[in-house]
Amino acid sequence: MISNFVIAQNQALFEKANALYNDGEYAEAIDAYNLILENGKHSAEVYFNLANAHYKLNHIAPSIYNYEKALRLAPNDKDIRNNAAFARNMTIDDIEVLPQAGFSKIMKDITNTFSFDNWSKISIALVILSIVLFLLYYFSYSETRKRLSFVSSFLVLFIGLIALSFAFKKYNLVKKDKPAIVFSQESRVMSEPNKRSEESFRLHEGTKVQVLDSVDQWKKIQLANGNEGWVESEDIKPL
Amino acid sequence: MILSSTSLFSQVKFEAKVSKKKLGINERLRIDFEMDKDGDNFNPPSFKNFAVIGGPNTSVSNSWVGGKRSYKKTYTYFLAPKKRGRFTIKQATIEIEGNIYKTIPVTVEVTAAVSKPKDGNNADYVASENVHLVAEVSKTKPYLNEPITVVYKLYVHPSTGVSNWREIDNPRYNDFWSQNIPVKAIKAETGTFKGEEYRYVVLKRVVLYPQKIGKLDIEPLSLDITVEVPTNRRDLFGSRIMTQVHKVVSAGSRTINVKPLPEAGKPSDFTGAVGDFDFNVSASKSQLDASESLQVKVEVSGKGNLKLFELPELTLPSSLEVYEPEKNDKIRTPLSGMQGTKSESYTVVPQYKGKYPIPSISFSYFDLNSKTYRRLNSDEIVIDVLDGPLNGSNSNTSSNTSTKQAVTLKGDQFAFIKTSTNFTSIKPKYFFKTTTFWALLLTPFLAIPIAIVVRRKKAERDADVHGNRIRKADRLAKKYLGEAKKALGKKEAFYIALEKALHNYLKAKLAIETSEMSKDKIKTLLSDRSVEQDVVGEFISLLESCELARYTPTTNVTMQQDYSRSADAISAIDRQIR
Repeated sequence: MISNFVIAQNQALFEKANALYNDGEYAEAIDAYNLILENGKHSAEVYFNLANAHYKLNHIAPSIYNYEKALRLAPNDKDIRNNAAFARNMTIDDIEVLPQAGFSKIMKDITNTFSFDNWSKISIALVILSIVLFLLYYFSYSETRKRLSFVSSFLVLFIGLIALSFAFKKYNLVKKDKPAIVFSQESRVMSEPNKRSEESFRLHEGTKVQVLDSVDQWKKIQLANGNEGWVESEDIKPL
Repeated sequence: MILSSTSLFSQVKFEAKVSKKKLGINERLRIDFEMDKDGDNFNPPSFKNFAVIGGPNTSVSNSWVGGKRSYKKTYTYFLAPKKRGRFTIKQATIEIEGNIYKTIPVTVEVTAAVSKPKDGNNADYVASENVHLVAEVSKTKPYLNEPITVVYKLYVHPSTGVSNWREIDNPRYNDFWSQNIPVKAIKAETGTFKGEEYRYVVLKRVVLYPQKIGKLDIEPLSLDITVEVPTNRRDLFGSRIMTQVHKVVSAGSRTINVKPLPEAGKPSDFTGAVGDFDFNVSASKSQLDASESLQVKVEVSGKGNLKLFELPELTLPSSLEVYEPEKNDKIRTPLSGMQGTKSESYTVVPQYKGKYPIPSISFSYFDLNSKTYRRLNSDEIVIDVLDGPLNGSNSNTSSNTSTKQAVTLKGDQFAFIKTSTNFTSIKPKYFFKTTTFWALLLTPFLAIPIAIVVRRKKAERDADVHGNRIRKADRLAKKYLGEAKKALGKKEAFYIALEKALHNYLKAKLAIETSEMSKDKIKTLLSDRSVEQDVVGEFISLLESCELARYTPTTNVTMQQDYSRSADAISAIDRQIR
């Protein structure tokens, strides 16, 4: 009952926010979308609409932040990708993405085809299938059937284990993947986690970074081009 | 030169004049006692502490100017001081027309020896005494980059004249940024110098901006001046003959103590601007199409060291094409320091559609009036590119050279919001690595040992023939006699069920219909299938007792017996039947 009520409330909020957006009252729309998020519910569409509203108000970092959030939930959505490209146009930093090539790229692509939950479900299904085939081998009398089921049982088990390893790999990737968006207009990236150290480079609002480590109030970040440095944690907001 | 007179009668003037009031011990002093009426019994003071080396020389001059006679009689002494100190030359007396007149005592200071004895009659000496080159520095303790002005003035005493000058050595202002302000017309003005009236000319004006902190030396300016000095000789008309003397004067060897700008509150973007400025960033257009160009101008105007700092750099979104800025300075440098505007104009050509905010940039300077740092922020400008390709996705339209215009959907629009959604919890629940996951993954493996055990049990059972039979009989009984067993105790129902069960068994085993069932047929069929005679008999008797029991009273015990007999009979037939 309560959850139904909350869902209905969120739907109402969502529709209200959409109406506000369409009337050009973007700030109010943002408040309404944020209320939905505060209720503990989210969806790719909420993040997308919220990002659009921020874009209309020229809020660089919040708009990119929410597009990234939306893309995490719906990585292949055309509209989100399209509008995120608009938002990225507003950013100042020009970072060349290091191209990945060869075997590691293929592996990564395969790993990224499913979520780790789906990989684990696939591996369970394959293991069960393999056991069934094994029992078929065990209980059947015909020589050809026995041979066929034995071979296929081990083959399926092997594929299942590979799927399981992909599940682990994807899980680790997700664990390691800690992207953040630079929120301060200009952020000084230092070579060490203190203010005395040398400035390595500067980042501007809206740039996406990977958080690698943290010490006190400092976060070690890595850019898409491989550069690393330390920023104050208040300058960035993790996704 | 102090003139004083002491007289009892106003028409008589009797004065003592010294050539200087301060002299070195190796110099000489000339003292004149002047009177405007002839007198007798001149009595000089005792020149204590001085040695009289010349005099008294008496000179008398008479002149008629405009029918009026003027008379002057002078007694002159040349004195050499004997020691250092302040000495007073006492009164001299004279008797004029029966009255005694006295001079005022004169105090003279004798100092240490001077390098060049100053001789009042030497033209060089007179020139050096009456011509002074002065460098006026507006500030001796400026801040770094605070403008200071140095004005070189040549003071000339009215009694002498300067006919020509030439700069020997132009000062170089090391560690200063300097701007010479040329003096267009040299104009003599009157001013005071060391308390006396002098004429002066401004020779040179320089604005300096110190570029280093600490003690900085300004090199002196040296001039070769031709000075006209009056001599004691006079020409035909009674005016003095002037002699020309070349004199080298220099001035302005000053030390400036440059203060550093305060460290406290120094903004991070401070680039050395000192003064009073305005800051402005403006764009020539705010809406345009892709591949059109616009200018973004960063401008600083005001007073201060405009030429000595760099303008803050404009940061633009990386997807805009930006060309090197064009610099444009309009700076004048009057004596008060540089003023004007300094600007950089960036030409920007957007390539893709979208909105491009130019972030606010800041400019910091040190305000000399309040002695604090000030930071000015520009407004944020948004450039709206209305039409053009979208970045990233489909920008390969340039390769299309065909003249036909393809009708394609414009995929490069900013998409509208989405109107329907399904909410999920923000806190995700993952399946991977949960207990359910591990259980589901590993329990299937248990099926293998279970299967092995099951199979082994089965083999064992197959090996156990007797047990198998019992089990089989039990199974048969359960299969066919289940209904009857339930009806145990209810006579009618029990026997109907039992009969049905027996019939069903036969139907299944012998494949005959109920209508074909007669006792004889059953007998022959069973015997044909090599069932023993007594078993057949038993079966037949059971069928008979079923029919009979419906009409006769029976006890529970009989029913029980009949049930177990049927079970035995069925299992016996089953065993024997082929």
